[in-house]
Amino acid sequence: MRKLLSFFTSMRLAIVLIAYLALAGTLATFVPQGEEPAFYASRYPRLLAALVVDSGFSGFFRSWLFILPAFLFFANLSACTIRRLSREIGKKERRRHGPDLLHFGLMILVVGSILSFSGREEGFVRLAEGDAVELPGGGLLRLERFEHERYADGRPLEWTSEVSVSGDAARKVEAYPIRVNHPLRLGRYAVYQVSHDVEPVLAVLGPGGAAGSLARGEELEAGGFSLLFLGAEDGGTGALVLLKDAAGPGKSFRVAAGEAVGPFRIATLAVRDLSGLKAVADPGYLVVLVGLLIAAAGMFFTFIRKIKDFRP
Amino acid sequence: MNRSPSLAFALLILAAALQAAFLFRKDRKADPASPWLLLAAALLLLGTSVVRSFRIGFPALTGTFESLVFYAALVALTAFAYRLQRRLPRMPLVGFGATIVAAALVAVASSPIAPKEALAPVPALRSGWLVLHVAFTFVGEAFFVASFVAALAQLAAKDEAKRADYDRVTYTAVAAGYPIFTSGALVFGAIWAEQAWGAWWTWDPKETWALVTWLVYTLYLHLRFTKKRKGRLPAIVAVIGFLCTVFTFFGVNYLMSGLHSYG
Repeated sequence: MRKLLSFFTSMRLAIVLIAYLALAGTLATFVPQGEEPAFYASRYPRLLAALVVDSGFSGFFRSWLFILPAFLFFANLSACTIRRLSREIGKKERRRHGPDLLHFGLMILVVGSILSFSGREEGFVRLAEGDAVELPGGGLLRLERFEHERYADGRPLEWTSEVSVSGDAARKVEAYPIRVNHPLRLGRYAVYQVSHDVEPVLAVLGPGGAAGSLARGEELEAGGFSLLFLGAEDGGTGALVLLKDAAGPGKSFRVAAGEAVGPFRIATLAVRDLSGLKAVADPGYLVVLVGLLIAAAGMFFTFIRKIKDFRP
Repeated sequence: MNRSPSLAFALLILAAALQAAFLFRKDRKADPASPWLLLAAALLLLGTSVVRSFRIGFPALTGTFESLVFYAALVALTAFAYRLQRRLPRMPLVGFGATIVAAALVAVASSPIAPKEALAPVPALRSGWLVLHVAFTFVGEAFFVASFVAALAQLAAKDEAKRADYDRVTYTAVAAGYPIFTSGALVFGAIWAEQAWGAWWTWDPKETWALVTWLVYTLYLHLRFTKKRKGRLPAIVAVIGFLCTVFTFFGVNYLMSGLHSYG
């Protein structure tokens, strides 16, 4: 038991593990991560490809090559922190708790990272103005308004999605502007503005007063016919549609605004903005944040003290 | 102001030449002019950053040219502060080496590999956390430049007393740079990533290299703690640490792709 304790409180172990993590982490950046075995087989000699795949190096940060040393490092850090803290508390003067705080912050950070890694959920949606999506855990998120601001040269300046959340009294939100770097936090979920896209929309008038606004893959049925919008063509000035009736498999047409296809008339072909929103539930959020702040505070206490110790 | 980096470069070269001339003097007197040349060069480079910041309406830290100019200014300021301080042994070679690094950074900034166009940042980069992330990282790395030069000199020195003096400069520079680098590269970087993309950490090559750099300097501090001043290993690790910062900036930007591939 004493031997085991001295193994885990050894500075030599810490040095070996830090050196290993630095070296292996470096190597991992030179090997494309998360690819299929065929990818490595096509790129490397057979033996090296097999080694990369079989050892888990192709997904280094999720493999035992990383997780086991990281766990050992955590055990080493915890044991050293406890030993050091008890020694410092026993001192009558010149106590230095900066390193304890730093190591304690790192321990919390590791716990937060494990929580984050194991329990994280995320989903991505692209919404047009007026679209709504059901939130996990209840409630309906609706995109009320989307604004795309541009610089004079056309590059994006800001994307703002004004959203509301209804249907869940505990998470009711009215007109919240989600921007990049300004997420909406709703209990255990946070919603992030991550992208912007555009999609073509076909406004169609059908027989008997039927009308529809079709996105790609949507169809309008009227008078025993259906019109499926397959996509925009010719730089957005034309559309490819599939006209079907009950009898046959259908026929595709290239059409422009103002033209007719069977009983349908194409009113307009336009584009609409889509807001890319990502919802994330991160059970480690608060723990990671606290760990980061404690580690940063510990670091400053440690090194300000050390620099003060230097005499001219 | 467009000529400021060129003028700053000329001042840095002049400062380096003056320091080089005094390196060979037997009385070990330092030249009186180079600290002020370093300060003037740093102010010119910071002035360039301020002018570009007004032009793009955001702190000019998001492009390669802007980052290099800011980094060079900080290295020149660190060399200036080192020459004026009285707590550490004043080793002329450290100031000289840092001046050469600052001049090299300005030269790279002025070369074709760093686009000069002043472009306002895309939405993900418009964050106060990003400004803290970049600024603190470069302040930390400016101290690492001093530690790199001192560690190299320590490895080359034949005299035991000189080696001890260089060791003290290396250690103090790492001790000052390490918490600032950690706050910038890892803490503020992680907070920014969480706000922008909803993930603290994604193992993007630049993030991994920042972590590797941090681990190498952590290794240096632990080795220095256990070995005190004995042996060459801590100095070798301090040199590797700086080379990691260079690869994190240049190697990852130009050889690898990821979330940081914009700058």
